[in-house]
Amino acid sequence: MSTHITVDPVTRIEGHLRIDVEVDHGVVTKAWSSGQMFRGIERILQGRDPRDAWLFTQRFCGVCTTVHAIASVRAVENALHLEIPKNAEYIRNLIVIAHALHDHIVHFYQLSALDWVDVVSALKADPAKTNALATSLSDWPGNSTPQFQAVKDRLAGFVARGQLGIFTNGYWGHSAMKLAPEVNLLAVSHYLQALDYQRKANQVVAILGGKTPNIQNLAVGGVANAINLDNDATLNMTKLYQVKELLDEMKAFIEQVYFVDVCAVAGMYPDWLKVGAGVTNYLSVPDLPLDSTGRNFDFPGGTIFNGDLSHVTPITTFGDPYFQKNVSESIAHSWYDGDWQRHPYEEDTVPKYSDYNADGKYSWIKAPRFDGHVMQVGPLAQVLVGFAQGHEPTKRWAVKTLATAGKIAGATLTPAVLHSTLGRHAARMIRCCVLSELAAKHWTLLAENIGRGDTTIFNEPVFPKGEQQGFGFHEAPRGTLSHWIVIENGTIKNYQAVVPSTWNAGPRDAKNQPGPYEASLVGNPVADTEKPLEVIRTIHSFDPCIACAIHTLDVDGHEVSRVRAL
Amino acid sequence: MPTTYVLSLGNVLMSDDGLGPAVLRAFEAQYVVGPDVEVIDLGTPGLDLSPWLADADRVILIDTVKAELPPGSLRLYKKEHLLSRAPGVRVSPHDPGVKETLLALDFAGRAPRDIELIGVVPAVTTMGLDLTPEVAAAIPAAVHAVVAALERAGIAVRARPEPLAVDPWWSTDVKIPA
Repeated sequence: MSTHITVDPVTRIEGHLRIDVEVDHGVVTKAWSSGQMFRGIERILQGRDPRDAWLFTQRFCGVCTTVHAIASVRAVENALHLEIPKNAEYIRNLIVIAHALHDHIVHFYQLSALDWVDVVSALKADPAKTNALATSLSDWPGNSTPQFQAVKDRLAGFVARGQLGIFTNGYWGHSAMKLAPEVNLLAVSHYLQALDYQRKANQVVAILGGKTPNIQNLAVGGVANAINLDNDATLNMTKLYQVKELLDEMKAFIEQVYFVDVCAVAGMYPDWLKVGAGVTNYLSVPDLPLDSTGRNFDFPGGTIFNGDLSHVTPITTFGDPYFQKNVSESIAHSWYDGDWQRHPYEEDTVPKYSDYNADGKYSWIKAPRFDGHVMQVGPLAQVLVGFAQGHEPTKRWAVKTLATAGKIAGATLTPAVLHSTLGRHAARMIRCCVLSELAAKHWTLLAENIGRGDTTIFNEPVFPKGEQQGFGFHEAPRGTLSHWIVIENGTIKNYQAVVPSTWNAGPRDAKNQPGPYEASLVGNPVADTEKPLEVIRTIHSFDPCIACAIHTLDVDGHEVSRVRAL
Repeated sequence: MPTTYVLSLGNVLMSDDGLGPAVLRAFEAQYVVGPDVEVIDLGTPGLDLSPWLADADRVILIDTVKAELPPGSLRLYKKEHLLSRAPGVRVSPHDPGVKETLLALDFAGRAPRDIELIGVVPAVTTMGLDLTPEVAAAIPAAVHAVVAALERAGIAVRARPEPLAVDPWWSTDVKIPA
């Protein structure tokens, strides 16, 4: 006897992501992932000036603003074979890093830690014992007995007034919650402190990008940050040192708090290092270019198939034909007209909605494939591709993570445990540790280049007559993002964005191969079909970001999401 | 550091959902505020709203709202109203929005001292760059509501002698009435 569960958030005006699972004897046997809202925003770009495209793509998603801006200018630059100045690469890289650190910290503390941390249980914690535990794990100055006592008192005050506020609809007391009260209190304390680091990352983006969340400083051909060390209105040493100080503070938080918290959760939920692997084909693209040629990068990219870390095919340049030739999208199970599988240059976006049919069409999301294979993208893909290629900082932080979590678990952990729900969280944290080291490096590269007297920021794009095609990729916080553009006589003829959450959340294809979300849920335990916490855990581990679109505020909303067990 | 924030929310690519940014443009074209007020369009930031709200003295939000009223209707909401509903199960980073950010900051003891929302009921929120006429017609009243909120708080708002041109970058067709 199987039970069908639908997790269907009915937020804003239209829903975003709907997950359906069949549960048999407490285990998920089948799963479907459905995007519940039509995007197709690419159509807005047709006929426009390619130099303006990034302003529009930045609005695809209010959370992933900068990433769509970066991918867009790279696509146009690729179509024009336009190199950009070193200063522009470094400034873009620092924005990319600050945005990613911000995004990952928000994801862990604000969006997913509470899947693992039982806030109510923290009321039973002994603050002195919490401090003893905290100081055994880290020398973070924000840990102290009075700090933990204050957080506990604050929580107790909320509960006494019958107000759980932000925590109201959590799955508190769920049998899958396993952390000791002291660990829960530690995590709640860090949840509160993480708010400050969101702000610090934002400040970096605002200083370099002009504004945040929607940056103003990009241009096809470079950036618009005038550099003059003697002028207060331009990028100067004072501003550069502000950026450095903020990045250093974030690095300390990441290494002393985020690293420890993820290792603790992984070490205390070892079962979740065995669940949720799903698709073990991985795709990531190289990023953080080191010069203006698009051939040297600080983060490697490539593909891995069937979890085999001994074989990796590298992706090495911005124009790499291995990437360019192999990407396609299938609409066999998506609400579009037809059932084709096409290359992004050849795609169209013609909606054709029919009812939700698990055996037929059931999602607005297309199903991207790489040489016909389903691929998982995201920090885990990036970390594994880096690890398999011997990328030094990735390997060092991955080994340190496995050793620290293994010590807490009382077990020896190998890289194979990263193919899992908690492996995705661990990889996101590993990526942050590596990125914050690279932030310091790219800051130095920028400062030294300016110090040599190079203040060039922009190379003028020239649009020839006729047709050009180009693609730009970016290893975004949620994974491989690519924008594909066809330009005709200086205007946009076609534009497609193949976004990370499409790779991961996409539906089945013509061969009925399930997408990564769908595959990862199969085998998940579900203890209580009314409260499918385990399903949420695995989906959250991908850091879903689906809607990219709409925001009407439902002030009077009586019910903003619902779980149905049928 | 600014202590007052005028923030617009909404997606300019989704028709009437772009009301907030359009009101912000119209406000900036007609009025000047001092350095203690930051005026910025945030788009659809989800929980990324919190850096603007944390520890702020006063926040004025402009957004579309879902309500059983005709499109173009203007509604004002106070902090108590915004905090009075519980958040739902979180799935994507978009799901938490204003309410969730406020509740999270409230727990942290860092919610803005005062916050109000100027809301307009949309007609169409599918892909498109234009506001519907009935929603565009609400812009002057919404701008007036922003000015009134600032003045109630004793914050200086100066009308420009010559209003600037309002030309939203996202559309040459969008007409923002003064």
